[in-house]
Amino acid sequence: MTSAQNTQGRSLWADAIRKIKKNRIAVVSFWIIIAYIGLAALCAMDLVFTSYSLVDNTIPYQAPSSAHWFGTDLFGRDVLARAAHGTVTSLIVGFVGAGLSVLIGTLLGALAGYFGGLVDELITWFYSTLDNIPYILLLVAFSFVSGPGLKTLCLAIGLTSWVGHCRLVRSEFIKQRGQEYVQGAFSMGASHARRIFVHILPNTLHLILISFSLGFVSAIKSEVILSYLGLGVEPGTPSWGMMISDAKLELSRGVWWGLAAATVFMFFLVLAFTLFNDAVRDATDPKLRDK
Amino acid sequence: MLKYTIRRILYVIPILFGVTLVCFLLFNVAGGDPAAQAAGKYATVEQIESIRAELGLNQPIYLQYLDYLKQILTFDFGRSWSTKQKISEMFWSGVGPSLSVTVPGFLITLMITIPLSLVLGYLRDSFIDRTAMVVCLALISISSLVYILAGQYFLAYLWGMFPISGWDSSWTGRWEYTTLPILIMVVLSLGGQILFFRTIFIEELSKDYVRTARAKGLSNKKVLTKHILRNALIPIITLVVLQVPFLILGSLLLESFFGIPGLGGLLVTAINNADFPVIKAMIVILTILYTTFNLISDLLYAVVDPKVRLQ
Amino acid sequence: MSSNSLIEIKDLTVEFQTDDGTVTAVKKISFDIPKGKTVGLVGESGSGKSVSSLAIMGLIPNPPGKVTTGQILFEGKDLLKNSESQMRKIRGKRISMIFQEPMTSLNPVFTVGDQICESLILHEKMSKAEAWERAIELLDQVGIPNPSERIKSYPHEMSGGQRQRVMIAMAISCNPDLLIADEPTTALDVTIQKQILDLIADLQKKYGMSVLFITHDLGVIADISDEVVVMYRGDIVEKNSTEALFKKPQHPYTKGLLACRPSLDEHPRRLPVVSDFMTPDGKEKTPDQSVLKAAKEIRPISDSQTPLLEIKSLKKHFPLKKGFFGGVQSWVKAVDDVSLTVRKGRTLGLVGESGCGKTTLGRTILRLIEPTAGEVRYNGVDVTGLNKSDMRAMRRKMQIIFQDPYASLNPRMTIGAALMEPMVIHKLGSSKSERLDMAAKLMDRVGLSASMLNRYPHEFSGGQRQRICIARALAVEPEFIICDESVSALDVSIQAQILNLLLELQEELNLTYVFISHDLAVVKFISDEVAVMYNGQVVEMNTAVGIYENPQHDYTKKLLSAIPKGMPKTLLS
Repeated sequence: MTSAQNTQGRSLWADAIRKIKKNRIAVVSFWIIIAYIGLAALCAMDLVFTSYSLVDNTIPYQAPSSAHWFGTDLFGRDVLARAAHGTVTSLIVGFVGAGLSVLIGTLLGALAGYFGGLVDELITWFYSTLDNIPYILLLVAFSFVSGPGLKTLCLAIGLTSWVGHCRLVRSEFIKQRGQEYVQGAFSMGASHARRIFVHILPNTLHLILISFSLGFVSAIKSEVILSYLGLGVEPGTPSWGMMISDAKLELSRGVWWGLAAATVFMFFLVLAFTLFNDAVRDATDPKLRDK
Repeated sequence: MLKYTIRRILYVIPILFGVTLVCFLLFNVAGGDPAAQAAGKYATVEQIESIRAELGLNQPIYLQYLDYLKQILTFDFGRSWSTKQKISEMFWSGVGPSLSVTVPGFLITLMITIPLSLVLGYLRDSFIDRTAMVVCLALISISSLVYILAGQYFLAYLWGMFPISGWDSSWTGRWEYTTLPILIMVVLSLGGQILFFRTIFIEELSKDYVRTARAKGLSNKKVLTKHILRNALIPIITLVVLQVPFLILGSLLLESFFGIPGLGGLLVTAINNADFPVIKAMIVILTILYTTFNLISDLLYAVVDPKVRLQ
Repeated sequence: MSSNSLIEIKDLTVEFQTDDGTVTAVKKISFDIPKGKTVGLVGESGSGKSVSSLAIMGLIPNPPGKVTTGQILFEGKDLLKNSESQMRKIRGKRISMIFQEPMTSLNPVFTVGDQICESLILHEKMSKAEAWERAIELLDQVGIPNPSERIKSYPHEMSGGQRQRVMIAMAISCNPDLLIADEPTTALDVTIQKQILDLIADLQKKYGMSVLFITHDLGVIADISDEVVVMYRGDIVEKNSTEALFKKPQHPYTKGLLACRPSLDEHPRRLPVVSDFMTPDGKEKTPDQSVLKAAKEIRPISDSQTPLLEIKSLKKHFPLKKGFFGGVQSWVKAVDDVSLTVRKGRTLGLVGESGCGKTTLGRTILRLIEPTAGEVRYNGVDVTGLNKSDMRAMRRKMQIIFQDPYASLNPRMTIGAALMEPMVIHKLGSSKSERLDMAAKLMDRVGLSASMLNRYPHEFSGGQRQRICIARALAVEPEFIICDESVSALDVSIQAQILNLLLELQEELNLTYVFISHDLAVVKFISDEVAVMYNGQVVEMNTAVGIYENPQHDYTKKLLSAIPKGMPKTLLS
């Protein structure tokens, strides 16, 4: 416990950030994530790797060279540029897909956990039902009926993967609702909205963030599987999932670079996200604080 | 315990209603006009209409749902559009091949991961533990598709250690074809499972009863293998039981890559051919299986955990 | 070096590595545990008392902890030099330990019999059957009825007191030379505490073992120990025989600690606090005359007669079991037909043991929980019948201060925001700066600096947080405050400060309190009237002095007789 000397307080978030900054792995992971986002932004604005869709039928399946560091694909397109542009697809799938599912999960979880009673029973029934359908099948079924494409892909992931978030937020809301600080707010006459948004939600936000980050990673991985099943993004759109799936035919011809490029790109993004997530978890864990 | 069992079984009813409803809505309502899909791209309006009547799709929606429930109860899902085989027969013939890959794969993985994560939990924050964590995190950062592609390419195609793909329906002959898929399954589930079990063990390690056991003079090994393992087994058993439906389904990717005629491969083929009735049936069958095993895992939980047993 | 010492601790230092650097938990402490005697180790939270005991057992978690200097001589041999396997032969066999949390200290998936047998099989090389027989005897010795059946129970099938008995049976199973008891009764009710203390004292005599009894409660120490060691911030400030220490404490901290405990025999105006006896840097200081005077003067019981709060036949029943189809099969009657009157400007103390319904009653009065039946009249208005907006307005007049100062402030809100929140809800103050001003005044009022308004709860100590909670309750200028175990989680020295503050505020603002607590001495100190609750009902009500001098109900008598006397028996006569 620090003695009260300086007048400016340090919030729990500031505390957590301070801890994360001390963690070298977390800092490196953070900058890797930022680098990916930067790369995606530049690709989306067509400022870098502009040759990603440049077809050159004279040079199909060229091995890596100084002109094409990761070689070329069937249509003679530069693999490195396609992998770089694949970042855009993955980040969209990750952010929109996981974002949508966190949004749904948080909303339903907060309602169920806070109000309890009939609302809780209905929401619990709803998510238990979805939870009783094996996730991969639900996702496949949903993608299948909604058809391929980036938009439907995000929608499928968002609408099928929120159960975990919902469960987490619900149990956290039930826990926090009984805490004395929430009871205290109630005894002062605070409204439901105030108790939910001013008191409980800020105290569950770090868990939601961690949950989002796990969802992000799982969304990116799902994209690969769905691509293989022919339920991925529109043909022609650069995506890691497509590049990895295409390797099924390419490998037997000795063409390994498409697979390698996509795997390497995905590897560092997923690893950075996982490591950063672990650091956030450690830095915000109340059990580790105060000790 | 009896009351708990009965209540838990009754609880399955609204869930089953829910899952069948979701499957029904997904395919018959959200998925567009089933009659149009059945008729194919070049069908005329008249053809579609006659198929609609044939499939009973001109009935009110609740009757269609009841029909659907009847299909499930009688385990009669009709025939595949592409192969014209009976779907129930396709299902039964797929279970065996799926299980002969997943069961050995799953058991071998458990035999590696449980002891290993127990040791890592005990050595937490040591150099060995940290290294193992990095390796596990790296393992789960690679798509499972990549493991399959690389495994098949290197071990089977390039080095010829295993057949590239194929199947022998005799029990003795199939191992030639299943060894590589089993190996790949073990490798790709290793990282995630170790991380999961390690977390469980570390959680148990910080409990008060561990301190009591040590204060008794028990060795660390004994505390670990008796007190902690017994407590950690509760969540582990639940997890294992919940895996069973996935073992039956088999791996979508592994089976389609290695030509194993299991349910996973069946489903992939059905997706590629837009074989609606097969996809629909597979999903509802596996969902009901999953619900059943969810129930079993809950009941089993009550058996292993004395706290639940008595309520 | 005396020959009759079982354990001699010399210059022991234990350090912990934390994010903020090295923390010294115990600083070069030395003390002896004589053979066949009970040594009481007293200290408040963070004094290093538990760490010292874990060091004897060789159970300091490493990392982050480490013994950096010193020796722990056990019959002349340094335990710290022992290998882990040598220590294992001592743990459970020669030195054994019981812990504070009987609920979690036993392994939930083994029967209590299995857990007792484990030590016997390990150290006494008994067969399973022999061990089982012995375990039944042990359970019988620690007073578990029907031991041959109960031995097959799982820990959760037993009450807290019974589990602590099982822990004791386990600890004495191999006739240890030393039993370390780390706050063994803190989590238990006072009547159960008495039974466990008696049991430990009996067993100590019977087996002639030494006991190291660790506690924060001087009252308990006086009853049970032969010698006392007082720890303060990792240091030993005083060690002496129990009698000498209570008769003539030497160190200012000990003096303060002894003086600040409310006693059952007095009803003073104010409690002395540790800082009356000791300067912040640990130097002795003579208390002001006014302090001593206020501590001796009898506080008259308020003669106010105007009823402020009238509770009539209040009931709160919780559904316990649900049938298959949602019908409720049985109810827990947490509050069962309670009628009480609280008069303006007075304090009603509500005592009872855990589960008696006192907390539920408090929350039902404020309608934090809706009552099942009955009336709560505040100034003549039935609170239970108010609609939402009238109730919100009513909340301004009625406030509550909770037990856990760590949980009762929103960790993500600054203290300033927390104090201004009730003002915003009730539209007090016309602008932010005016509210800020009011918040600063409140901080000042509860003895904290207004410059701390921008800080967050985790930057304050438990006592400071409780002051902030009081300030927050005062923010809406209430007339009536329920204090729900508001000092129970605090150290004794802090407890005295908060109690004094509550009394000052009452006098100044003419507040009315309902003070809920399990601690009879605290309730007696602060209350004008006391109601005793048992099984959801008020079994007895009288003036604070009356109820202690002339208890009527059997339960009240049992409660009173279970309270540690707070003085060694030799000094009482």
